[in-house]
Amino acid sequence: MKKILNTPEGYVDDMLSGIYKAHKDMVAPVSDKLRCYHAVKKTPGKVGIVTGGGSGHLPLFLGYVGQGMLDGCAVGGVFQSPSAEEMYEVTKAVDGGAGVLYLFGNYSGDILNFEMAGELADMDGIKTCIVVGNDDVASAAKGNESVRRGVAGIFFMYKCAGAKAEQMASLEEVKILAEKVGSRVRTMGFALSPCVIPEVGHPNFTVGESDISIGMGIHGEPGIRVQSMMTSKEIAQEALDTILQDMPFQPGEQAAVLINGLGSTPLDELYILYNDVAQILEQKGIDVFKVWAGEFATSMEMAGASISVLRMDEEIKALLSKPAHTPFYSNPQL
Amino acid sequence: MTQVDKDGLIKILGCVAKVMTENRDLLCKLDAEMGDGDLGLTMSKAFPAAEKEAIESDETDLGKLMMKCGMKMNSAAPSTMGTLMSSGFVYAGKALAGKTALSADDFAKLYMLFADGVAARGKAQRGERTVLDTLYPAADTAAQALLDGAGIAGIASAALAGAQNGLEATKDMLPKYGKAAVFVASAQGKIDQGALAGALFIEGIRDAVAG
Repeated sequence: MKKILNTPEGYVDDMLSGIYKAHKDMVAPVSDKLRCYHAVKKTPGKVGIVTGGGSGHLPLFLGYVGQGMLDGCAVGGVFQSPSAEEMYEVTKAVDGGAGVLYLFGNYSGDILNFEMAGELADMDGIKTCIVVGNDDVASAAKGNESVRRGVAGIFFMYKCAGAKAEQMASLEEVKILAEKVGSRVRTMGFALSPCVIPEVGHPNFTVGESDISIGMGIHGEPGIRVQSMMTSKEIAQEALDTILQDMPFQPGEQAAVLINGLGSTPLDELYILYNDVAQILEQKGIDVFKVWAGEFATSMEMAGASISVLRMDEEIKALLSKPAHTPFYSNPQL
Repeated sequence: MTQVDKDGLIKILGCVAKVMTENRDLLCKLDAEMGDGDLGLTMSKAFPAAEKEAIESDETDLGKLMMKCGMKMNSAAPSTMGTLMSSGFVYAGKALAGKTALSADDFAKLYMLFADGVAARGKAQRGERTVLDTLYPAADTAAQALLDGAGIAGIASAALAGAQNGLEATKDMLPKYGKAAVFVASAQGKIDQGALAGALFIEGIRDAVAG
């Protein structure tokens, strides 16, 4: 293992200390608890949105805490859920009196802990509800969406739910909107190399030197199959065939596209991939509203990419277009 | 032992911590075949943290102390199994609040309360190849032993026998939850690693009250 760190045990806390120092005008820990991360700015009466999950995926999850998106994040160890108590601390810090939405990826450890945090918050009179991202189309068959994993597509849920909350919508309204966006986004990922958890020190799964793992999860969960490396065109074709079969577009519906790098794939390659994605979408007559390309949900130093497609409607378009500004992500009014 | 007081609870947590630590590598190995391979690490972190909390806390209400230990376990090991086990303590602690010592009757009930707490958090039932498939059989045999007039040591031994039978039975069960559900075929004929963690928990309790 060759990583820039001091000790493997200090990996997460040292990273967090760096982020707090670099962006102290925007984010802060709850008292001295580094793993309880929240936006400095708090709007009374606004629904709070809290996310959380394991480290090792930056800018997911904490990177979307900021203006126009999320209010707080509970930060776990690398690929580990944060504790219920950490989630509860963040909940108390961000609650503006209108309740708190828990919006995070569909992983059992995170779900159990957020449920427990919600029970603790309830005893304090803070209303919470849960919406999970389950966009990974490769992780379970159609009809079994509730067990699909959450991956990069949660970015669209954060963006739209955050904008909805800024319009002072109620907790119920923000929840319904987040669920709607979640039901209209699909992602498919491709891994070219494994990643190393600092405290483990070596990869705990492998991807062969000349292979590609199709549908592998962002913790190395097995995908659909492993085969010899494909071209960008073939990757784009397989991803879009799978996504569009699972979620057919109606004529005239626009798409938003997210081309996400998993950690050590150059932007160059992401745009080579988008070139092929764009061509296929054009052939299918699907108009693209906007494309995001870059690192949005990584898996340490894993090489590879994921393609997310969002089926737009007028409401989603208006919310996506709202400005957002966090230490890791910004867009002007679109 | 005719009742379990605070010292008894500390001893139980200590013995469970010891059994989990001794079996850390086995739990990790079984988990790596079916899941993400960290079960031994999380269990050997969770119970020592609970033991430490029980020793350091000046809480004398055993129910409240169990809740505190559960929350501490969750902070030390917020993985799926760490959270499920901590939920067992929180749930049982709520039900036993106000008691400074557990009678044989309370002690037998503790097994069922713990299993119910885990089931409520995990939204699972017995027979689905999970930790519940050792916790519930242990609770059943513990309840029967109490009816048969056993004391605390007898109840704990009966619970362990129940857990071991339950563990054996998981070999024929199909996984429904977690990453194991992806590897249905390879689970056939093997014990479930979560159920093993449950059986080791029951074994640790027996070790604590038998001696």
